[in-house]
Amino acid sequence: MARDVLRFTGVGGQGVLLAGEIFASAKINLGGFGVKTATYTSQVRGGPTVVDIQLDDEEIWYPYAIDGQIDFMLSVADVSYQQFKNGVREGGTIVVDPFLVHPTEEDRKKWNIVEIPIITIAKEEVKLVLTQSVVALAIANTYLDLIDEKTLVDTMLSKVPERFHKPNLLAYELGKKYALEAIEKAKATA
Amino acid sequence: MAAGGDKVVINEGMREVVMIGNHLAGLAAVDSGCKLFGGYPITPSSEVMEYLSDALPAVGGVCIQMEDEIAGVAVATGAAMSGVRAMTATSGPGISLKAENLGLAQMAEVPLVVVNVMRGGPSTGLPTRVAQGDINQAKNPSHGDYKSIALCAGTLAECYTETVRAFNLADRFMQPVFVLLDATLGLMHAKAIIPTVEDVKAGIVPRKKFEGDPKDYKPYGVAQDEPAVLNPMFQGYRYHFTGLHHDAMGFPTEEIETCRKLIDRLFRKVDEHRDEIESNEEYMLDDADILLIGYGSASLSIKEAVNRLREEGIKAGMFRPITIWPSPEERMNELGKKFDKVMVIELNQGQYLEEVQRSMGRRDIEKLTKTNGRPFSPQDIIDKVKEVF
Repeated sequence: MARDVLRFTGVGGQGVLLAGEIFASAKINLGGFGVKTATYTSQVRGGPTVVDIQLDDEEIWYPYAIDGQIDFMLSVADVSYQQFKNGVREGGTIVVDPFLVHPTEEDRKKWNIVEIPIITIAKEEVKLVLTQSVVALAIANTYLDLIDEKTLVDTMLSKVPERFHKPNLLAYELGKKYALEAIEKAKATA
Repeated sequence: MAAGGDKVVINEGMREVVMIGNHLAGLAAVDSGCKLFGGYPITPSSEVMEYLSDALPAVGGVCIQMEDEIAGVAVATGAAMSGVRAMTATSGPGISLKAENLGLAQMAEVPLVVVNVMRGGPSTGLPTRVAQGDINQAKNPSHGDYKSIALCAGTLAECYTETVRAFNLADRFMQPVFVLLDATLGLMHAKAIIPTVEDVKAGIVPRKKFEGDPKDYKPYGVAQDEPAVLNPMFQGYRYHFTGLHHDAMGFPTEEIETCRKLIDRLFRKVDEHRDEIESNEEYMLDDADILLIGYGSASLSIKEAVNRLREEGIKAGMFRPITIWPSPEERMNELGKKFDKVMVIELNQGQYLEEVQRSMGRRDIEKLTKTNGRPFSPQDIIDKVKEVF
């Protein structure tokens, strides 16, 4: 299997770290190799944050994603979108929250830009903004079909306190639903 | 105990865990029988204390966040004097603050584990970024003459195994032992294959203790290549504890020969037992034409670069010192004779390059260095190898 390289970006405090950790752990639980690294600035809350995720069946030495080789990026903050978008390979998919991230027309030609209101889903439909990382997790896995869904969800639940299982399961279902709708919409307009 | 609810798998006598490097250093402390951690939070090392704040009390130990870095090492030193295994963890700026007490622990021969998750400097530098800026600092954090022992983890698993080794070496040589991590290793989250708790416990050799008549106890009156034998305080074996030059009982002295012999012994107890301390990795060196030398997280990039260079027919290999101090000078000298093409790769301005030059007795060694807080990508290394060789 070729290496899957993902990048989640946001600003410190939004919780993008957790989604990366769940992906890496789920891959390892399936017997493969997964590595998550996080880079953030000294300005921990509000500063641009990037989480790199690499999944492979072979051992991974260098733990960071290499710019130009990233297949999929998800961004919930314009400051980090602008800073890290160029790491995504041409034709790669970038999922953005359209209320927070503003891609240019040039960007839309270069990458497959998908708009899903991640924060709004977490805030208004799940009614728990903290679940945004699980909405993001579901979107990424629905697009890329990387990890068997049951393993991913079980791994997610193992990292979340029991009283939050229900809202996080709802967040996963909603993320998956919105991603499937976006995929259908793209097919219809293609 | 694994962080974050990940399952722990036992496979062929080894544990498979999914953790970050800083938590692995904390787990190693617990498994090694550490009973006290004293520290103060500092990026990128805070997760060591975060882990221990739960894990140490659970096994009857104590984890204290002190008022500052200085107090953090002081409380750990005091605990070690009482006979227990103790640890502190910090980053480079914290080592600067702890330096005075580390010198005291060297002089008075107190075993202590000091985890330094390195970041860039000088001063507060780049707190959240990766660097290997404390290689020279680990050799001589305090003034005066002594021989540091510093171990540098290069994989996630080594964040655990080198911390375990540090506790054993500290008790064997009765001095502080550094474990050097960096922001990449300390914070990366992946699988690590580590020994079982039972194997770690079986490898612990208790600190030497004088069992004879307390009247005959001379803690510093030992062979010239051996460490002091410090019995735990308050158990009837009395001695004086000082940072001044001291005699066999620990009392200050200016007697000429006693002073000379004391510092000579601090060197010889390490120098004459290098075989117990030295540890290296040699990766694809047997048939290599190009020798790349690196350590810590930079070696992850070097390994990937070596693999990719070999796919292109360029035979590179890597030498990685795990024990940074004392350096593997004899092995590096041998390698310096075998390889014409040598490059040192490190995330500083060339701190270890000087040690490689000294060990090899050569000046014609290439270097690839970086001090902007970013890691080397494998491509950085491949490009440099193609440029200079």
